[in-house]
Amino acid sequence: MNNNQARTLLSIFWIILGIVILTLSVLGILNNTLFGGMGGALIAVGCLQLYRHIKYSRDEDYKERIDIEVSDERNKFLRLKSWAWAGYITVLVEAVASIIAYISKQVLIGQILCYSICLITFTYWLSYMILSRKY
Amino acid sequence: MKNRIEEIRTQKGIKQEELAKLMGVSRQTISSLENGRYNPSIMLAHKIAKYFGMTIEELFIFEED
Repeated sequence: MNNNQARTLLSIFWIILGIVILTLSVLGILNNTLFGGMGGALIAVGCLQLYRHIKYSRDEDYKERIDIEVSDERNKFLRLKSWAWAGYITVLVEAVASIIAYISKQVLIGQILCYSICLITFTYWLSYMILSRKY
Repeated sequence: MKNRIEEIRTQKGIKQEELAKLMGVSRQTISSLENGRYNPSIMLAHKIAKYFGMTIEELFIFEED
């Protein structure tokens, strides 16, 4: 089984899971509107992914374009840079939000935000340690 | 880092799309390289230089900061 076939099967799985969740939600077994939305979202994502995978396997031009997009070194650089920016921005926003939360006496929210900053910082440190051994 | 990719490419009458396809990268990558907005990996620099029959030093202009 190649990579595209595995992804196609995964898309079908998301659709089936979405249908099951949506059905259970409509029947009232899962008694929460959140599950209805989740089921719908899974069906939509699954259908979109399935369409893309089928197009990838049948349309040679599309396949070539996607392959270049995925393997293009500038795209890889941009993806990594974007993740780095996302991490920095998240930590900064959380730090500011935690200060605001403490000032406005929302101690629990402030604590959760601080734990989140600690988790991200720890993950960064751990990643750095692993990568420094690899390269 | 400055380079002579655009100059050599136009001399040889090759379009950005064609060069991109030959190098296995996107057209935007070639465009960014030509504008000096993106510095290539050593592998891509070598591939482009080899394609044009030049050395990396001839194609890319190294400048001390």
